Amino acid sequence: MSDQIRNRLMLGVALVLAAIYLFPLYWMYVTALKTGSAVFATPPNFLPSTPQWSVYPYVWESRNMGRYLWNSLVIALGAVSLVAVLGVGCAYVLARYRNVWVDVGLFLILMLQVLPASLMVTPIFVGFSQFGLLETPRLAVILAIAAKTMPFFVVLVRATFMSVPMELEEAALVDGNSRIGAFFNIALPLARNGILVSAILIFMQAFGEFVYSKSMIQAVELQPASVGLNTFMGPNTNEWNNIMAYATIYVTPVLAVFVLLQRRIVSGLTSGALK
Amino acid sequence: MKRILSSVTDGKGFDIGLVLLPLAFLFVLSGLPLVYNVVMSFQEVDMFSLGSFVRPFVGFKNYVDLFSQPETAPILLNTALFVTASIAGQFIIGFGLALFFWMNFPGASWLRGLFLVSWVMPGLVVGAIWNWILSGDFGVLNFFLREMGVIAGNIFWRSDPNYSLWAVIIANIWLGTSFNMILLSVGLSAIPRDLYEAAELDGATALQRFFTITLPMMRSTIGAIIALGLIFTLQQFDLFAGITSGGPNNSSNVTQYWAWDLSFRQYDFAKGATISAIMIVFVMLASVVYVRSTRHEVRG
Repeated sequence: MSDQIRNRLMLGVALVLAAIYLFPLYWMYVTALKTGSAVFATPPNFLPSTPQWSVYPYVWESRNMGRYLWNSLVIALGAVSLVAVLGVGCAYVLARYRNVWVDVGLFLILMLQVLPASLMVTPIFVGFSQFGLLETPRLAVILAIAAKTMPFFVVLVRATFMSVPMELEEAALVDGNSRIGAFFNIALPLARNGILVSAILIFMQAFGEFVYSKSMIQAVELQPASVGLNTFMGPNTNEWNNIMAYATIYVTPVLAVFVLLQRRIVSGLTSGALK
Repeated sequence: MKRILSSVTDGKGFDIGLVLLPLAFLFVLSGLPLVYNVVMSFQEVDMFSLGSFVRPFVGFKNYVDLFSQPETAPILLNTALFVTASIAGQFIIGFGLALFFWMNFPGASWLRGLFLVSWVMPGLVVGAIWNWILSGDFGVLNFFLREMGVIAGNIFWRSDPNYSLWAVIIANIWLGTSFNMILLSVGLSAIPRDLYEAAELDGATALQRFFTITLPMMRSTIGAIIALGLIFTLQQFDLFAGITSGGPNNSSNVTQYWAWDLSFRQYDFAKGATISAIMIVFVMLASVVYVRSTRHEVRG
């Protein structure tokens, strides 16, 4: 009996802690639904008295969000595809061998993982402009994001391949499969879930990416939603309900995916950072 | 020729091909820019010579110029303060939460995972939300602080030079706490429970157990997390762009934002590259610590 009370109590405290931590998110949703004048009420209302649902179609239209989100999607999908195609094979080989070269390769990959984007953007921008890559700015951003996120992907997927027993592949080889056949028919299907979760993590990062897009994409019609939000938030803005509506539309799909796949995403993240 | 081909489809060549292609990609898009960055920091680069491959070398002039600028020292100090305060805040709150959720109760792991939403949100969105929360006259944080009697008048977080850096630090602590907590939880769950049972039998208090079992057993995890925190806070850019833009008057500027500002706002690419070169050395040092503390796990 006392155990049950303790559990209830702990759960209650945990819920309060989570509520405090997630308050900024709640505040975004509530502010978006307030009228322009209710936003500036003192003391602030913590529940919107007259929810303004029309703010969403209004912001969507007036800020051209369809175009911005489409560009974010193009950039994120491009980066994920590139990272997945190149990274899976790399992770597979690094998981199958145990020698000095693998250690050196892993070390280099981990070092590349930590370079801050805002510092790397200067040489990448100048180099890209010299080779004419800035003519196709979204491709330039995809390449830059892929280079930035691939190390993380390789580390995550490598951990997945380590858990696929080598004996299964050896059995396939004995049965007359080629290496390519064994890779595609045995190793890849067994590692599918881990690869998918890692790809979703990379997608989320690329979907919200800001530095590279802001620096390399000058044409407004090619900019992603992060740059659009930055443009929207001028220095002395007072349209906070509209800005929060923009943020809501931008972030809600990401949050939905996160809540659905929470358990897998959390375990994927932790295995990447500490294993 | 046939032997090479069959090796690619069926032997070591297959593995080498798989690993060389991505490494070449990383070399071209990460390794070469790194070198190019150092080269540019010794060159004169302006809007006119941006596209040309031959630029005059100026030796250490960029470095000397940089350190003779009046804003350099305050910005370096800001960076140090930002990094230290962010890591301390994230780590202490994260450790507290991890210890709390470590006491098993139904729903603990699900609720704990929920905290990670901060990590998957686009950085600019986090910046926008905190920009609004920290707003001076109508910000909800000022309202809470007033109600609790902590402050008498409103704090203008974003426009008061005394507070602008702290505005970004608060947002960054919020952002990083969840990640710290999850990683610390992983470390905590790896400590064998029987150690605590034995200590309890011997009559050790909760505080004694924490300092003699938990902390020593967590040493390598803590090292890795502090190093990761250093790496992540030095990567933090979106919050500066979303909250203060480094202002007012550089009072909330840090090196990683300044480098970008010099290159893409003032078009002084040589200076931008110079700061980048200096900061990348710091990041590399942090990552060596990180890689060393996780090396055993990485090797599998």
